[in-house]
Parts: sequence; structure tokens; C-alpha cells
Amino acid sequence: MSTSPLAGIEVELAKLPPAVLEAYQEAVETIEAAFGEEELVLWAKEGLAIGTQTVRSWESAVEYYKVGPQVSRFLSFPSFMQWARCGTYLAQDSPTLAVAFFKASSSIVPNLRPQYIPRWAGLGRSLYKGTWKSSTLAAKFFEVSPDLVRNLPFWDVEVFASLIEAMSYKSYDVAGECLVLGRDVLPAMGREREAFLSMARALIDGSWREIKTCLELVPRALQLVDENQTGRFLKLGERLAKVGLRETSRFLADGTQSLSKIPAGSQGYILDLCETLLAVSPEAVPPFLKSLSGVLDRITISQLDSWFHRGMELLKDNPESGIAFFKVESNTSVAMLETLSSSLELDRVKGIIRLYCSALSGTSIDVLDTQELVRKNIGWVDEDSASTDGTKVFLPTIVDHYPDKQDNFSWFKVVSTHQVGHLEFGSFLFDFTKPSGLFDNRRFPREDEVNAGKQAAAEEEGVEPAQSLTDIGRFLSLFQDRQLAFDLFTVLEDCRLDYRIKVEYPGIRLAANRVQDEALANRPNIQEMGVQQALVELLIHMSLEQFTELPVPIEYKDAAVVLAQILHELRNAQAEVEDTAEATLRAYEIISRIANENPPEEDWEQEDLEEPGDFSEEEYESLIDQLQAGQDASGESGEGESRESPEPVDYRGDFKPEMVQLLTRLQSDQDQQGEGEPISQEMLEQLLQESSELELDAEQGDINDSMSAFAQNLMKEAGTPPPNSQPGQGYGPLLHDDDQGGELEAREPKTFAYDEWDFRANDYKPRWCIVKEKVVEEGDTTFYNDALKNYLSLSHHIKRQFELIMPESMKKIYRLIDGEDIDLNAALEAWADLRMNVPPDEKIYWHRNRNRRNVAVVFLLDMSASTAEAIDEGRQVVDDRDAPDDPVEYMVWLRRRREGLVRRNYKRIIDLEKESTALLIQALEAIGDTYGIYGFSGYGRENVEFYVIKDIDEGFGDKVKRRIDKVTPLHATRMGAAIRHSITKLEKIDATTKILFLISDGRPQDRGYSREGVEKEYAVHDTHMALLEAKRKDITPFCLTVDKSGHDYLKSMCGDMGYEVLGDIWALPERLPMLYRQLTT
Amino acid sequence: MVQTDQPSYKEYAIEEFLVRDEPYYRVVGDELDLFTAAYHQHIPVLLKGPTGCGKTRFVEYMAWKLGRPLTVTKGDGTQELKEGEVRVPLVTIACHEDLTASDLVGRYLLDANGTRWIDGPMTRAVKNGAILYLDEVVEARKDTTVLIHPLTDHRRILPIEKTGSIVEADDRFLLCISYNPGYQSALKDLKHSTRQRFMSIEFDYPPRDIEAEIVARESGCSAEIADSLAKLGEKIRNLKEHGLQEGASTRLLIYAGKLISEGISIRRACQVAIVWTLTDEPELQRSIEEVVSSIFE
Repeated sequence: MSTSPLAGIEVELAKLPPAVLEAYQEAVETIEAAFGEEELVLWAKEGLAIGTQTVRSWESAVEYYKVGPQVSRFLSFPSFMQWARCGTYLAQDSPTLAVAFFKASSSIVPNLRPQYIPRWAGLGRSLYKGTWKSSTLAAKFFEVSPDLVRNLPFWDVEVFASLIEAMSYKSYDVAGECLVLGRDVLPAMGREREAFLSMARALIDGSWREIKTCLELVPRALQLVDENQTGRFLKLGERLAKVGLRETSRFLADGTQSLSKIPAGSQGYILDLCETLLAVSPEAVPPFLKSLSGVLDRITISQLDSWFHRGMELLKDNPESGIAFFKVESNTSVAMLETLSSSLELDRVKGIIRLYCSALSGTSIDVLDTQELVRKNIGWVDEDSASTDGTKVFLPTIVDHYPDKQDNFSWFKVVSTHQVGHLEFGSFLFDFTKPSGLFDNRRFPREDEVNAGKQAAAEEEGVEPAQSLTDIGRFLSLFQDRQLAFDLFTVLEDCRLDYRIKVEYPGIRLAANRVQDEALANRPNIQEMGVQQALVELLIHMSLEQFTELPVPIEYKDAAVVLAQILHELRNAQAEVEDTAEATLRAYEIISRIANENPPEEDWEQEDLEEPGDFSEEEYESLIDQLQAGQDASGESGEGESRESPEPVDYRGDFKPEMVQLLTRLQSDQDQQGEGEPISQEMLEQLLQESSELELDAEQGDINDSMSAFAQNLMKEAGTPPPNSQPGQGYGPLLHDDDQGGELEAREPKTFAYDEWDFRANDYKPRWCIVKEKVVEEGDTTFYNDALKNYLSLSHHIKRQFELIMPESMKKIYRLIDGEDIDLNAALEAWADLRMNVPPDEKIYWHRNRNRRNVAVVFLLDMSASTAEAIDEGRQVVDDRDAPDDPVEYMVWLRRRREGLVRRNYKRIIDLEKESTALLIQALEAIGDTYGIYGFSGYGRENVEFYVIKDIDEGFGDKVKRRIDKVTPLHATRMGAAIRHSITKLEKIDATTKILFLISDGRPQDRGYSREGVEKEYAVHDTHMALLEAKRKDITPFCLTVDKSGHDYLKSMCGDMGYEVLGDIWALPERLPMLYRQLTT
Repeated sequence: MVQTDQPSYKEYAIEEFLVRDEPYYRVVGDELDLFTAAYHQHIPVLLKGPTGCGKTRFVEYMAWKLGRPLTVTKGDGTQELKEGEVRVPLVTIACHEDLTASDLVGRYLLDANGTRWIDGPMTRAVKNGAILYLDEVVEARKDTTVLIHPLTDHRRILPIEKTGSIVEADDRFLLCISYNPGYQSALKDLKHSTRQRFMSIEFDYPPRDIEAEIVARESGCSAEIADSLAKLGEKIRNLKEHGLQEGASTRLLIYAGKLISEGISIRRACQVAIVWTLTDEPELQRSIEEVVSSIFE
């Protein structure tokens, strides 16, 4: 009998069920080969120890021996024994556990670092609480852990295991299910795993059942929510869970649903809102997210803000109603949504209205919101009233009169049609000397009368009588009560326009009637007014087409009838503004002769004035005589209350003919200098003081100041330099200064001024940028030559490709049905066929494609600072076999490696741009296209640098090669101006095909061009406009960017123009010439 | 009206096409006198103007008018000349980028015995004393100008290089070209040496009242609708500087009128015949539709 320890063990093993010995014998050879004899004994002994621990631990021993050979391949002996001992401990507690442990070992050991094995065993052990259910759970843990360990970092496995343990106190079943779910779901979570796990932890105390649902939901959430926001989203869930929210899974589900409907760019904003909400009331967050998708179906993201803030206010006052609000279960909320969803922002329809107005008026009309006009401070003060200054129509920023968007749009249309009506039907073309067609001309004799009076007064005082600057002013100065005259003129002119518009544009009648009816409903009660005021109001009512049941003071019934007759004269498609003036004169004569008393109620009578009969001068004169007599009898005129101007009719907006005529006059003074006496600021102030169109709230003392500011601003608006302001000093304190400084001037040689597009104003900023053209200094030709050498095969390939293009376009094309001449070969064949009585081929002509290639191209290289960025050498496979295990060390190792890489192979974006250029030049020279290569950079709008690498009319030579060497990253990228200058370059060239090829590495940016927020948009819009300008000039623009995130802005920057985002920057040298080829053939 | 019982086409040799029925043409200015004078004095005519304003119709009308200086009998569709009539055929060629000189002058064709020379439309017109109308002449290739030059000065000859012959134009021959100065790029402009061989008549869309008359007459819609259509045309043309490349032509207005006469609703007719034809830009479309909906009830 052998005394070897092994034999003894075998004997002992034989006492156990035979499966043990079998397993042992199968493994023994491999183990011996792997470790050696001594170690073999230790291994066998350990198995025996396992097997003899408890009654059923022999099963564990079987597994132990079975997997031994496989495990031994991956572990050193000490680790191997450590592993075995782990099993032994487990077997002590529960053989089942040990079996599971050993079973899993063979597949887990290759992926788990040896030092983690005891911790792994410990994790499983921690789940075992001595019960049958817990041992099942722990066994299951071992079962799934190979997958977990393979796909997750070990520390995440640990966190997950402790989560499962915590859950197991609540329910073993659920914990088991989560374990399996976790195995499937966690690996896909990527970097959001940590956020998720901590969220799940937070759920344990309050609502552990949620965890399972969350696990089920998360993969979907990760798919639908923008990847940059998922972390925040889960974090939000965690915070909610921490404050005790029960339905986290609902939150996840609803949140995912809502966020998925929102464009990725705005999801961050929604999460901002959620966080704001969380700070105030966590309970409100889930309802908010839940109703969000429904809410956003009705209103836009920008409108969401006001809805949200209303809810926040409610929430602060009363949490209950706040939550109801966010659930959209409160009237406030529903009503607000209705208003918001039906309201129409001017910005959204500005373009349409602008074109609509331009079409109607026949001149170029700009549409701006009323705030712009108020800001100009030239006499308009009301932000809510529409208006026009002769070239622009001003409309309120938002309309929410109706619960329907279409109706609100119709309101815009009615209002803008009315404003344009002033232009189309000549309100501002009033000519004092032009006779009226419908009335006798009473204003001429009246002027003589008034002038004679003034002359006399002036002679007495020894001053020159003041001259009116405008025709309207001249007309209004005929009246003592200028304000009354102006009020009447406004009503009557608006009446004429509304009638005319309805005749010319029957399609708008319906909407206009509706707006008029609403305006009528808001008019004040006539019977509560003084007679003068009542009669003006009566005219307003009639101008709004109310002719029946009008309250009229019995005493002045005749006057009312004549007024109605006058008004009816203007309801005529032939009526002109001069007719309005005559009508005004007559209405004034009547009303000014009536005292503004307030008759008692019984002195009023309801009148129908629909058909007052035709106006007759005789009737009018007798009425005037009668009123005059009455006035003489009662003594002084104007007795009674002082008259107030009528409430404005809001849809008609501000009517300021005198201002408009003044502006026009100022502008024409500007255009034709020397003709007549130009208007001075003093004259202007004088006029403004007299004008009844200005409503000044200021105290008397301030009026002079504001007058002078008005005058200056007006002159600026008209383009006249105000006399007393120094250049650079600004035009007075009340000016709205849009940006620092104004237009720029290109003074130095080789500098050019360009406009810039301001999308907020929907207009160009004139001469806003200065482009300075410079020639790149010369360096060495080595760079150019090296580039060609480095890409030798590519360069040959490209050259060949390009050379192929040439003959294509010059070739004679044979065998055509029709052409320039007969192709002899084909003709002979056909001839022979004919002789043989075979149907001949009809294609016997040739044709020369004479469309000679005639291409001019400008390449515009981005030389911004960002092109200095080193290119990530992503293509090289990372060799990380020697990567250290410890995470900290690993990071250090990684950093060191990256630094090493950069040192070894440092290449910047611009270098690739330059190399590509070199290759392209080769190709272009082969094909003979006209081309220019330029770089651009700069800082600020007064300093856009435009570098000539090869001018478009310059020949290629060593000079160009040397310049390429010196192309270096500089400052910012103001693309718009650079593009505009390139357009200028291309315009001078005569070519059939013109191409502008822009190569950039990111969005356009520059000082005052591209800061965060709106400015960012500004740059993109300006660039877009510049590209559009190119397109309009028959230049094909194309943008190539190496910015991987380029898709988001390139779409709006290029629109339907061509662009490409190069995912792999290394492809640039190859792609650039190919793209160019595609573009031109 | 479409008749289906039998085909109703007629075929003529190109130089024999006479305008027999009086085409409707509403004279706006003195263009009729100018053209007549030019015809008698052998001055080639250049018609300038935007698309669809009536250039081609005018030439047709002149061919008809010049053909019957004395009688005013209505044509019956036959090509037989009546007493007092002069044969003034009208040869119209729409020019395009690939139109070559040989397309105009003629070429050799194969037949059973070899090749045979076939006169091109220009040669036929020259020989038969027709009005030769080259529509959108700038579109044609540059080599066609070589043909135009000798025909348009005092020589009035057409040299045919390939046959080695020269054709002297018939006394009634007149060359008339049309040209739309709006949308050609500078590259396709007429050369001055060519331009200065013509007298030019400028066409534009007629004033609103006349245009309304034309629309009513051509489309058969009511005067009221025609008036509104003309108003619409005027308003749309105001947008020419605002992204619209061409204003609405009289032809389009007539199309709309025709559709309306056929019972299509007004707004729809304007939409399909005018708005969608003019532009693909949604904002512009919407704006024009708003103008339509303002003008029409």
C-alpha cells in the first residue's frame, strides 16, 4: 500500500459517492501537468475537505474536481488555492452555494482578476441568509455573474449585488427577477449605469418594487432620450426617489415618452424646468412630465416657458392648485394653453405678411414689430397699435384676440391691409394743391383767409409767418383747433380706406367686418359725452359701419345728418385723400360751432343714418349759418366741457401722416441736395411742437429736450446727419443703439466693406464688416512637396481621375440620330445595308459636344484658431495588452500613452487642410480650371482677414507653394464676410460654372457674431444669407466641414445648398478632390 | 372643346403654314404700325419682353394681318389664297441650347441613291418669303448668329456652306426674334453686333384694364373675375424683387380664368394655375395665396 498522501486521499474519496472519485480521476492529470506534484496533493486535499464537510457537500466536491482543470489554466497556484478555499467556505454554509460557485467559476475566471475572486465569492455569500430561498438567490447570483463580470466593471457588479441584497430583505422573488433583468439590461446602459444604480438605491427604502419596473423601462429611456441628457434624467429620478416619490417607474415611463417627442436640443431645457420644479415641489415633477407631451402638441417650446412659470407661481401659493395646473386639470391651465396655442407671434408670419404687404403696395415693405418703432423715438409711442412710416409696417408682436390661430392670422391680415392701404390708396400722398373730385374746394379760399390773418399778426409782431413743411401740416394749420381737425381727418381717412379696401379686396371683407364689429362693441357710450365729442364718436361709429340706432342729440339732428352725408361721400371707390381733406374741413366747421355741452338723457334720440341723402353744398351752408347764428346768440364758442380726443380704434393703429410726409421730405432732401431749402433742426422742432400727432407725457420743461431728441432721431431716421452732434458721440441720449458703432468705411487700399444679415431685424446691417485682403507671406516649398510625396499614390490617382474629365467634354459623339454632320463610317454601313435590303441603322450622325469646360472656383479655407487642434489618431488600434489592472494606474498609463502618441505624430486640422489643398492644386492644374485659394480669419467685424494663397487670376508657381507653407491657424471665423468677398472675386470672372467651396472645422464664430444664445444663431443665419447671395449670383456654394457635430447647424446654415460633414478627417485629402469633381461634372 | 369622334389635326409643310384665322391680339400701343413699317422696309424686328406677355401671339397676328391688307374675310382653314391675299407664311422656331446652324439651314439625308440635301426651316423661310420667328434666340448656339448676320443687313442672303450656294431672300421675308432680357445671365446676352441689326419693340404686361379685357376675351370668364385676375397679376408682379423670378404672366392669368370658367373654384384655380406655377418656396406661396384670398371673396 502506497504511503503517498495522494493515495490516502483517494481512499478517503472512495468513501464518498462514486461520482466524486470519478471527477477526481478525470481531472488529476491536467492538474498535475499544470502545477506539479505537491500542488496536486494540496488540490486533492482541498476537495476532500469540501466533500467531507456536510452530508451533502460531496456534490460540491464533484463540481470542484470537475472545473479544476479549466480554472487551473487561468490562475497561478496561490490564486487557485485561494479560489478553492472560497469554495470550501461556501460549502460549509451551503453545498448548493458551493456547487453554483464552482459551476460559474469556469466561465468567470477568464474575465475576473484573481484578486477579485474572494470578493466575488463574498458577494454571493452575502446573499445567503441560511434559508432555502436565500440560497436559491445566491446560487442564481453565481449563475448570472459570469455575464455580469464580462460586461461590467467589477465595482458596478458589487454595487448591483448590494442592491440585490437590500432587495432580498423585501422579497427574494423580486430580487431574483431583478438579478436576471440586471444581467440583460445593465451592460447596455454604458456610462449611465452609475446614475441608474444610485437611483435604484434611493428607491430601496420607499418603493423597492419600482426597481424591477425601472430596470425594464430604462433601456427604452436610453434609446429615446438624447444621450447627453440621460444622466441628468436618471439623476432627476434619483432625487425624486430620495424625497420619497413612490412612482418612480411612472416617472421614467412618462418622462421618456415626453422627452422623446422633444428635439434633442431642447431636452436639456425641459430637464432644467424639472429641476426648478423639483426645488419647489417634487410631487409636481411627474405630472409635469406626464402632461408635457400633450401640452407640446398644442404650444411651442418657446411658449412653454410662460405656461410653466404661471404654474410655478400657482405652486408657490398653493401646491394643490399648482399640481392640478401641471396635470392640466385646472381651468387656469387649460385656458392658458388655449390662449397660447391660438396666439400668433408676429415672428412666425412676418415673412408672409412682408411679402403680402409688398405685393399690395407695390413698394418694398418691411414688417417690424411695434416695439422697434417705439424704440426709434421719433414720435410713435404706443407699442400695441399697428402703424406705418411709409416704408415699413409695424405690427404688434403677438395676437391673441381669438381662440383660433387662423382667426388671429386674419386679424394680422386685416390690420396690415389697413396699414398698407394708407400706402396703396395714397393717404400720405396728400397734395394741398390738388383739387378734390367730390367736393367743392373750400380749403383754397380758407387758406387765403387764414394767411391774411396770420400776415397781419406777423406784421404786428415783425416776424415772418411760419411756413408748413408738409402738405398735411399746411392743411391742418388752417384750423384753430388743430387737434379736432386731425381727429376728424383720421376718422374720415380711415373710413375712406376701410371702404376702399372692402371694394378692392372683397376676400377680406368677412374678417374686416368681424374686426369692425368688435371695435364697435368696445366703443364708449355716445350718450355720456359732450355734443362735440359725441358727434366725432358718431362719425367713428359710422366709419365702422354702424348706421342704425345711433343716439343723436335732438337739437343737433340736422348736423348729424349732414355729417353722415359727408361721410357717405367718402364711401366711394373714387374718393381720394384730398376728398377726405375737404370732408374734414366741413365736419370741422360743423362740429367746432357746437358747444360741447352734455345734454340730458331725454334729449337724445335713436337715428338711422344709413341713407341720409346726397350731400349738397347749399344744405351745408345753411346749416353752418344756422349753427353760427346759434353760437353768436349764446355768446362764446366752446362752452361746456373741454373736448377730449376720441379713443383710438385699435385695429386701425396709429395714423401719422404728418410724420410720414416729414420723413419722406427729409429723405428726399437728403437725396437731392441743393434743391430748395433743406429742413433744419429748428424748423423740425417747431413743426413737432405744433403737431397734433405727438402725445407727450413729459412735463412742460422736458418737452423742449424731448423735442430736440425727436428731431435728431427723425433726421437720423431719414439719413440726414444731425447738425449739432459730433461724430462718434451718438445722436443723443434717447437713441437706441443697436450694437457698438455703426457703419464702417473701407478707407485703406485692399479693404472692402460688406453688409451683414441680421436675422432678428430681417434686414442687412449696412457696411457692417471690413474685409482686409492680405497675401500670405512666403515660406518654403518643402511642405507642398512633402505633401505630394506623402500622398503619392493618392495624388496620381486623383490626377488621373481629373484628366479623364477633359476628353469627356471635348469628344465627338458618333452614331446619333441627329447631329452636325454625317458620320461616314456609319453612313457607309447604312448604305451597304440598304443595298442588301436590310433596314439600315438610322444613327448616322456625329455631334461634337462643344460645352467646353469652363469652371471657376474659389476655395475658402478656415484659418481659425480651432484648426490648430491636434487630430485624434483614432485610426490606430490601441494596444492595451500591457494595461495595468488598477484603475488609477490605468488612467495614468492611458494619459502617458496619449501624450506619447501626440508627440510621435502631431498633426493639426490645418495641416490636413493644407495637404488637401496641395493635392487639389495638382488636380486643378491638370484639368485647367480657373481657381483661387484663400484663407480667412480675423477678429471682430472691422477686422475680417482674407488671405490670398492663390488669387483667382494668378498663375500657379513656386510662390503659391511657398505660401501654403505659411498658412497657420489665426483667430476667429466670420464666415459671412469672407463668403461675400469670395463672391466679389468670382463675379469678376467669366465662367459658365462658378463654385464657392468652403472648408471649415466648426461653426462660424467671432466677436459680436457668435456668442452663446441668439448670437450663435446670428452667425449661422448670416452665413446662410451669404451663401444664398452666392446662389443668386449663379455661384454654386458647397460647404465641407470636418466638425463631426456639424450636422446640427449645417442644415440651417446651408439649407438646400450642398454640404458634407466629414466624419473621418483623415479622409479629407482624398474626399476634397473627389467632391470637387462631382460638383463640376 | 375636345372632340373625340375623329382626329382633327392638319399637317402643312413648314413654309406653307399660314395663319388663316384672325388671332386675338389686343393692341396696346403703336406696335402694330411699327411692325408693319419694319416689314415693308425690310428691317428685322427684335421683340423684347417677359414671358407670356404676348410676343408670339403678336407675331402670329402680324403674319395674319400682313397677309390680307385688303380683304377682311374670315379664313376658312384652307391654305388656298383668296383674292387680294398675300402669302405670308409664319415659320416659328423655338431656340434651345443644342440648336445648331445645320438644324436651321439644312443637312444631307440618306436615301436610296445616296445623299440628298434637305432644306432646313430657315432656308425654306428665306426662299418662300415667310416671317421667320426665332423664339428665345439667346438660347441658341453661337454659330447660329453667323447665319443671322448676312440675313439681317442690306444683303438679305443666306449662304449655305455645305451646298456651296447662296440664297437671296424673297422680298416678303422678314426675320423676327424674341428675347427675354430678364432671366438670361450675362453670358447669354445678345451680342451687340447682333442686336444692332434689329429694331426693338418692347413688350410688357398690359395695364390692368387692358389685361382684364384680354383675360376675359381669352378665357371666357366674367368681366368681374377677369378684372380681379388682372388686379392679382399686378399685385404679384410687385413681388418680383422679393424672391419671385418672374411675375405672373398674362398667360397664367388666362389659364386661371379658363379653369374658373370650367367650374373650378376661384382660389383653387389661382393656386394651381398661378401660385404653384410661379414658385416652390412655401413662404412665397403662402403670401401669394393670401393676396388671392384678399382679392377674391
